[in-house]
Amino acid sequence: MTAAGFALRTDGVGKRYRKGWALRDCTLSLPAGGVIALVGPNGAGKTTLLRLVVGLLAPSTGTVEVLGHDVTASTPHTLSRIGFLAQDHPLYKRFTVAEMLRFGRTCNLRFDQGLAERRLAALGIPLDRRTGTLSGGQQAQVALALALAKRPDLLVLDEPVASLDPLARREFLQVLMGAVAEGGVTVLFSSHVVHELERVCDHLVVLNQGRVTLTGDIDTLLAEHRLLVGPRTATDLDRAGTVVEAVHSDRHTTLLVRDGGLPVAPGWQARPVALEDLVLAYLSRPSEPGAEVTAVGAS
Amino acid sequence: MTWLLWRQHRTEVCVLGLLVGAFGIALLVLGTQAHDLFPGGPARCEGQAGVSDACTAAFRRLDDEYGFVENLLAAFYLVPVVIGAFLGAPLLARELEDGTWQLAWTQAVPRMRWLAAKLLALAGVTVALTGLFTAVLTWFRRPFDAWEGRFQYDAFDLQGLVPVAYALFAFGVATAAGAVLRRSLPAFGVAFGAFLAARMSVALLARPAYATPLTATKPVPVGGSQDRAAPGFADWTVERGYADATGRRLSSTEYLALEDSADRAGTNLNQFLHERGVQRFEVYHPADRFWTFQLIESALFATVAAVLLGVVVWRVRRRLL
Repeated sequence: MTAAGFALRTDGVGKRYRKGWALRDCTLSLPAGGVIALVGPNGAGKTTLLRLVVGLLAPSTGTVEVLGHDVTASTPHTLSRIGFLAQDHPLYKRFTVAEMLRFGRTCNLRFDQGLAERRLAALGIPLDRRTGTLSGGQQAQVALALALAKRPDLLVLDEPVASLDPLARREFLQVLMGAVAEGGVTVLFSSHVVHELERVCDHLVVLNQGRVTLTGDIDTLLAEHRLLVGPRTATDLDRAGTVVEAVHSDRHTTLLVRDGGLPVAPGWQARPVALEDLVLAYLSRPSEPGAEVTAVGAS
Repeated sequence: MTWLLWRQHRTEVCVLGLLVGAFGIALLVLGTQAHDLFPGGPARCEGQAGVSDACTAAFRRLDDEYGFVENLLAAFYLVPVVIGAFLGAPLLARELEDGTWQLAWTQAVPRMRWLAAKLLALAGVTVALTGLFTAVLTWFRRPFDAWEGRFQYDAFDLQGLVPVAYALFAFGVATAAGAVLRRSLPAFGVAFGAFLAARMSVALLARPAYATPLTATKPVPVGGSQDRAAPGFADWTVERGYADATGRRLSSTEYLALEDSADRAGTNLNQFLHERGVQRFEVYHPADRFWTFQLIESALFATVAAVLLGVVVWRVRRRLL
């Protein structure tokens, strides 16, 4: 695959603020096309990584390459190919919706005003209202329409639905997925909510305490991992290096393993793992690479 | 970009334009009346010419009828900071406090071009508004300048080049403070405080030292007239006092001791001082240094403004915001 086959490549990216490292040793290659979810708890460094991707921040170490270009060069060409929807979908609160569209038109090379107007009309959002007087869901839709009207090749969204009520959340995701279905755009979005991801995403990146702990195609990840349930064993699990997490109940031990389907030991049962459980298991692991697997025990 | 600049900053520009316009028109109306007191223009009553009867009468009427306005002009010391800080504080701070910097800098306009357009446009408005107001004020003060010169604090600080430099300084401080504090209102407050501190310390401490002052001495006259030792009415006196016959300056205690002795001897003070060869001295800057001093002070404030804006540009360029 050539460099153009990747929407995003980072190599050893780190970002240090005055208070410490927000992101360390982040090396990723994310394919173009499809939807990529960036998952992690609050404070994991998701916003930092996304800001690095869209060029709002410069990395302290490493390089960020978006659509085959170094993003820190900030050329109009590269900028026009990236759409960004920041957390809490900021808009100029005193602009009308029409003025926001004019802002998009004057600040971009290929802004599809008609597309934005059609989307907003379909949602019943009036163009003459000030954005500050719109509901949170409508503001998010205006911000999304702006980002999509750029006709970006990569659309980056930071916690796009976190501040929305369930109905607005569903509408937002419908519009987003509709845009993806129309083709051509790679979507990278962050979330701290894990459920529903499976339905929407193709690719997963798990970030914890500033480090990438898991990345890959979701179907592949689910195929590689499974749960093994057997009699309680506290020691010597005989599967060194493949156990992601071990949970002990009174009589049973449940192991989450990444072994690609080795034969199951006698007395043990294999089960598929749900995506949410998989993500949570990786989030509860210590973030230092190569560290011992912790047993989350109930004795 | 032009439309965006206007749309984002039209409120500040309009409010400031209205204020400058209203005060400017008031000064033009009052100033026309004050200028009418001097047929042929206030310049004809400058200096020695001012002692003529016609000029003395005109100056007296000027003082009676418009002296209060001159006192009110002190409020206009704040015009540069109001203009500069009002335009500079929200430039970055408003984007940072609303989160819209993430919107502005992810469009296809590179951030350095965005910043350059903003800085140039708003610094331009700052210069234009302050310059316009200063031009009106300079014209308004001409009769008063003919009377008292324009090197005193109430004239020097309001006219010529310095108000524009003060405004650029306030603009620079407000923009930089906004970039650091990420809030418009605190940035405005910081700019206001920095402006007062810088203006006072420069005017009181630095300005007298822009050039070596001259010293004039004159024996105390028997009649005790109020003649000053410095040669011109428009000179800027930075220090005055008494010196003994050898030219050694007297401390205030020494001078008070002389006053006491005169009292005890029962003689007229001036005669007493005259007999002992006591002289008045005055340390001053001659009036023709006005533009030199204006240039030095303007350069000082403009340089600080340029450094502050340079830091802002550097921070935005390095993506440190």
